[in-house]
Amino acid sequence: MNKNQADKPDRGIAPRRRRLIGDRGSHFLNRVEGETAANISACYQCERCTNSCPVSAYMDIKPHQVIRYVQLGWREELLQSSTIWVCLSCEMCTTYCPNEVSVAETILHLRSMAARSIVPPKEKQLAVFHQTFLEELQRLGRVNEVWLMAALNRKPGILMEKLKSGELKKELELGFTLWRKGKLNLLPRRSKAIKEIREIYNKR
Amino acid sequence: MKLAFYPGCSLEGMANDYAHSIIAVFRHLDIELVEIEDWSCCGATAAHSLSESMAVALPARNIAAAEKMGLDIISPCANCFNRLRYSQAMLQKKIYDVPWPVTGNIAIHDMTRFLAQPDMLAQIKARVRRSLKGLKIVSYYGCQMVRPPRITGYTDYENPMTIDDLAAAAGAEVLDWSYKTTCCGASIGIGRRDIQEYLTQRLVDRARQTGAEAVVVSCPLCQANLDMIQKKSSDAPLPVFYFTELLRLSFDEVKGTSRMFRMHITNPVPLLKSKDLLS
Repeated sequence: MNKNQADKPDRGIAPRRRRLIGDRGSHFLNRVEGETAANISACYQCERCTNSCPVSAYMDIKPHQVIRYVQLGWREELLQSSTIWVCLSCEMCTTYCPNEVSVAETILHLRSMAARSIVPPKEKQLAVFHQTFLEELQRLGRVNEVWLMAALNRKPGILMEKLKSGELKKELELGFTLWRKGKLNLLPRRSKAIKEIREIYNKR
Repeated sequence: MKLAFYPGCSLEGMANDYAHSIIAVFRHLDIELVEIEDWSCCGATAAHSLSESMAVALPARNIAAAEKMGLDIISPCANCFNRLRYSQAMLQKKIYDVPWPVTGNIAIHDMTRFLAQPDMLAQIKARVRRSLKGLKIVSYYGCQMVRPPRITGYTDYENPMTIDDLAAAAGAEVLDWSYKTTCCGASIGIGRRDIQEYLTQRLVDRARQTGAEAVVVSCPLCQANLDMIQKKSSDAPLPVFYFTELLRLSFDEVKGTSRMFRMHITNPVPLLKSKDLLS
């Protein structure tokens, strides 16, 4: 992929056909604004968020477009996008927005929306990783890197995908280096407050 | 002085050396760190990605435990600090219910800013016995410690100076560069290694171009990312130190100095030996 292509939004996700604007009303906008307390209506598309984003080149819908899509109520495009999974929540966009729109918080909220919806995530590994992290967390109260990665690899399809992309070999090599340096702690420690943590997890 | 220490999961695992250096530095400074009893994970990125209520409730449990101890929290990990502060802000606004009594009216310190206060800095300077003279470093803060400013309370979020001040107090030569708060990619390498490598390699390259011989960080994940990327690089290795390791070195601990760095993937011992800082 050349550089110009990487910068262009992936039109395969947001189909390039004539669309009506404003036919969806403001239901989705009101909902997201209400749930995130981000003043999304204040956005005037200055694109400062996109320009400050370190990974906008890898996103199919750029941060400023995410805000516009929310305003227009284009929910399904947002939930199918890679943007919501690629976002690093580094908070550059939120920090530099002249209108104090919480862009990163909006993207994260869309991520949690996508995780609860039936839409298959564009970045499956990242989506499964977040879920596995919480599962490990409620099991021990603390998270151990080795057990987390082992749990991730046991998830359906993950190991096969890594094997095909050659990622598994790299991961094992890295694991060996870390183990040799004594960085891996194979015995996880439990938090004694495990009961309370499970309560939070089950109520989420 | 007594503080409630919230180490975070990384310090029990891959960043265990960071924990050791912190304990050594605070012992030198006569500040007692009391580990929060049965502390639990702050939820990191996963909790606030998937469930807002968990992102508030998980750190709140630790804040409640510290309140019970009656001590202020100090957190060495950038993400833990950010999550604790976020949860505290939400608790004070009483937006979410949490199942235990907690007010959120304690101070939550990030370790670098706590140590970079003028009086602490003076104490550190008074304890430096072996100046790290001639060691050229750049400081790297990452994202979560400084942004968003309304949560972290940093006013100089574009050009933070806390690690710079601490490293300078230890005698190191701190160089200025533009990538202090540029994201290292965090845990995105788990699903998208290409993005991770692009972001981290850029940081390492820029640090080298600035003329630095080492990078100084305070975040366990930044350290791991910057340290691991250099495995196959053909350039001279660029060791990545925790700022507490430099402080500990300057406080001149006689025992086990080269063992201190055995968990680093990019071996810093040749560099330190060439500067006559390790025997």
